[in-house]
Amino acid sequence: MNNAPPSGARRESDLVGAFVQMADTLVDDYDVPEVLHQLATHCVNLIGISAAGLLLSDQRGSLQLVASSNERTRLLELFQLQADEGPCIESFRTGDTVTAADLSTTTDRWPVFTPQALEQGFLAVHAVPLRLRGNVIGTLNLFNQRPGALSAEDAKVARALADIATIGILQERTIRHGEVLTEQLQGALNSRITIEQAKGLLAHAGGLDMEQAFQALRRFARAQHTGLSDIAHRLASGQLPPGSVLKPGRVDST
Amino acid sequence: MSVPESPEQTLQRVWTAVAASIGDGSGGTEVLALVGRVCTQLLPVDGASISLVGGVRTREALYTGDEASDRIQRLQESLGEGPSYEAYERRRPTLVPDLAADPGTRWPVFATEIGAYPVGAIFAFPLQRGAITIGALDLYRREPGWLSAEEVTTALRIVDIATLALLALRVDSLHGDWVVALPLERAQVHQATGILISGLGVPAERALAKLRAHAFSVGRMVDEIADDLVSGRLAPADIEL
Repeated sequence: MNNAPPSGARRESDLVGAFVQMADTLVDDYDVPEVLHQLATHCVNLIGISAAGLLLSDQRGSLQLVASSNERTRLLELFQLQADEGPCIESFRTGDTVTAADLSTTTDRWPVFTPQALEQGFLAVHAVPLRLRGNVIGTLNLFNQRPGALSAEDAKVARALADIATIGILQERTIRHGEVLTEQLQGALNSRITIEQAKGLLAHAGGLDMEQAFQALRRFARAQHTGLSDIAHRLASGQLPPGSVLKPGRVDST
Repeated sequence: MSVPESPEQTLQRVWTAVAASIGDGSGGTEVLALVGRVCTQLLPVDGASISLVGGVRTREALYTGDEASDRIQRLQESLGEGPSYEAYERRRPTLVPDLAADPGTRWPVFATEIGAYPVGAIFAFPLQRGAITIGALDLYRREPGWLSAEEVTTALRIVDIATLALLALRVDSLHGDWVVALPLERAQVHQATGILISGLGVPAERALAKLRAHAFSVGRMVDEIADDLVSGRLAPADIEL
């Protein structure tokens, strides 16, 4: 069992709500990092896990984190660590879902990753590949504070969310050629770097931690009906003063 | 009998040369020529160019491999449109494997003008780190066609090398700062860049240069300095040299 996902009729209506929201987003102009962040948040709410992250292929043989349900620095490190070792890189290489239902038994398999995951209180982890025809373009990574495999139903929801992520990355243009994938992946990876720069800037200017800085960024982007990446770029390139992002609402702790 | 170099070895050799020229301060346009030449050596492309980009309208080609590469650059400069300009504005590559088949609606004049030249495909890569866009690497091939997965990886490795070479060159020439070569940065490096933008009131490019220069001057890794800034063990004022 997981962290008590919503049950029965409520769960069904949550699922429908989430998928309707994602579908609405994908027919409009949208921002890839923003959509992937929403997806990670949906994973936590719908599957009843503790944290979710999305890693994409950097097309240089490695994985890079592009979205997380929570921007705590240590959690981001745990996701990124899996570019070298852990369930994500295994899932990325094999194209299969990798599940570790009990992390207390995986120290031999992943000697660097396992102790760090345990130290952050996680007991189970799952990596679901983002598949595009014959290729794997990234992984959806789920962490749980309780041990155990995903139920068949949760696994199905995770699979569907991973597919939506793939569609989201390929955006409005058809999945015709490899060059579109490269444009999108490289664009998304650079956006993530810009978001990190903007987080650092806001954290310093507003005396916030990285999660609060991310939430401030996101709130402002939503209020402006603008993509997260655009606001981050304007901040980090000096076109938008941090004060205008920090001022509108008081930043409450999360 | 000499064994031919593998693509991996070639990239390693170029990277070592770039790192060395950055390290001893001799980094200049010659090292960019080395990076440019490796494009035509390792990829199925016929020409490459590397430009410094300072803004939408400010760019300077520092290396052009051949006549057609030069032509592609000048055409875009005089028209103010084209794949390389689009890549800069969108902050992601613009890859056109078949120019003749592309509707060209995004750069109509360029599409028409370039039709007079034997250019089948153009691959325009922005050289950037988040909000820092420093330049452009543009490749073309006479015959249309996209790259294989291995070639994409090679192209992106060259993009990484060119980005670091240009960051070093630019920072050296503009600010006289020291820079050291480093592998691809972790998230903390980007966050620390943001902290310095705010804390020192400098542009992103300068903030990253400061971070690197400080690491070099105290003999520590850039990652470690970034960690210290993010966790508050170091303040931006400690970085000001």
